[in-house]
Amino acid sequence: MSDPVVGLILLGVLFVFLAGGLWIALSLSAVAAIALAFFSNSSVGLNLAVTFWGHSHSWSLTALPLFILMGEILLRSRLSKDMFNGLAPWLGGLPGRLLHVNVLGCAIFAAVSGSSAATAATIGKMSIPELKSRGYPESLILGTLAGSATLGLLIPPSIILIVYGVATEQSIARLFVAGLIPGAMLVGLFSAYVAVRAWMDPGLIPAQTVKLNLKEKLWEARGLIPVALLITGVIGAIYTGIASPTDAAALGVLLSILLAVLSGSFTRNDFMDALLSAARTSCMIAFILLGAAFLAVSMGFTGLPRNLAAWIGEMGLSPYVLLAVLTVFFIVLGLFLDGISVVVLTTSIIMPMVLAVGIDPIWFGIYLVLVVEMSQITPPVGFNLFVIQGLTGIDILRIAKAALPFFFLLLLAVVLITLFPEIVTYLPNAMSR
Amino acid sequence: MRPFLDRIYLAAGWVSAFMILAIAVLISAQIFLNFATRVFGLPLPSTIPSYADFSGFMLAAATFLAMPYTFRTGGHIKVSLVTARLPARAQLVAEVIALIAATALTAFAVYYIWVLVAESIHFGDVSTGTIPIPLWIPQTAMGVGMTLLCVSVFDSMVETVLRGEPVIAASEEA
Repeated sequence: MSDPVVGLILLGVLFVFLAGGLWIALSLSAVAAIALAFFSNSSVGLNLAVTFWGHSHSWSLTALPLFILMGEILLRSRLSKDMFNGLAPWLGGLPGRLLHVNVLGCAIFAAVSGSSAATAATIGKMSIPELKSRGYPESLILGTLAGSATLGLLIPPSIILIVYGVATEQSIARLFVAGLIPGAMLVGLFSAYVAVRAWMDPGLIPAQTVKLNLKEKLWEARGLIPVALLITGVIGAIYTGIASPTDAAALGVLLSILLAVLSGSFTRNDFMDALLSAARTSCMIAFILLGAAFLAVSMGFTGLPRNLAAWIGEMGLSPYVLLAVLTVFFIVLGLFLDGISVVVLTTSIIMPMVLAVGIDPIWFGIYLVLVVEMSQITPPVGFNLFVIQGLTGIDILRIAKAALPFFFLLLLAVVLITLFPEIVTYLPNAMSR
Repeated sequence: MRPFLDRIYLAAGWVSAFMILAIAVLISAQIFLNFATRVFGLPLPSTIPSYADFSGFMLAAATFLAMPYTFRTGGHIKVSLVTARLPARAQLVAEVIALIAATALTAFAVYYIWVLVAESIHFGDVSTGTIPIPLWIPQTAMGVGMTLLCVSVFDSMVETVLRGEPVIAASEEA
């Protein structure tokens, strides 16, 4: 059988497993097993055991449960309450007023948590009721929240960048650092959109109610100082090379425990909940990663990705064309699959093709995260939509409609980093080695 | 049987949770030692030998031991887009088929993971760090976790058939 036929058969089998409701990690493993059994001479079982073992104890991957735990601890602390009270007085004067709390609040929480869904849940829990009671338009409340929460994936620490880094053997420190400027750029784009909407339609945003002087503003913001220190500490340590992401994550866990306890209202039960919840989430992600690693090994034996890459290489495709095609492909895939699955499928099958046309793997990681961010807010499967539906009970399609402008802003960000790759590559290149 | 099995899944989950905490403590201790000796010149050993190996092995143990608890509580994600639109009866059939397939797959994995453990013992494989750790020790944690996962999948399959309705909660986040 020829390669394209084999590839299509395997892809079809994968979709049947996924659509049939077989767990994602197991679907990936099953397709890998089938590919090995039918299209190679290697032992299925031994490859599985060796891959599962080999990919489950790496130092880089150790950062995963630690950053998850850090986020789980902080989302149970008073942080989210302090965030609203601390940010609101500063942002009340901007066009769009407190809607910017959603954007900036998400950005700050994203810097301590690596998950988009957790960011949406934590910020949304406090901002939706506050903004609604003050009469802000529903579509903008939901849209800014759904859109900004996707920053959880991009702004370091990012779970999905750890997954990408481990799967492609790229430096996680460099990936984290590469996400900084694009993250800030997105915050700027989101805020600018809110400001433009407010400016175009002055009746849209309710008037500012309370005005505080500088001293009062600073006093209200005091709750944010420890978090600011934690964020600068973790990211600074990684950027300067003092600590690896895994080291920074371990310290981040201890500091977040300290911070949560000192801020009060963090009980032993909260801590135990955070621990078990972190074990559960990191187990889920690691299992998918193991399934994908097995798929990658199996694909290596069949030689499909290599041949696909050679084939793309022979076509002399420009990177722009390939990226345009891939972007459409990922958006379609993202309609049905969660972000982590999109990333691991990419790394186990498409990666050689991307490298073949000369795309920088660090840049591609950030690109992939941006595309995955879009998939978080597109129905029918978009995890931010699910979370916000859970918080508000509003129909998922209405939330998706509110989030649509942010989908296009993310697409704009993809175009920007493609035209100006330095947005991504400048900081990692400037980093101490 | 039911409460007994659930207690085992949860217990393994807690072992996993505390492994993660232990990793955080171990790595932090290493950082403080490093700091104390380099910056303050305290007369302490500057490294915990093989701490990266230990962290990695605890990570593997944490990942695999949390498998059954994660599975039972709907933590492992799947695509429910298609099956959720089927009539209730067909949904149940699809769920049972998926559980049977999952039982077979995990049983296959369990068998070969124990083969790997047996080989590690047979060849006396150890880790390459300062402290050579026999690999069968962390690999056994992997074997136990996968075995419990297989048991929990089979258990869920039987329970689903007996109850006539899905027993695993829908996964809700990623």
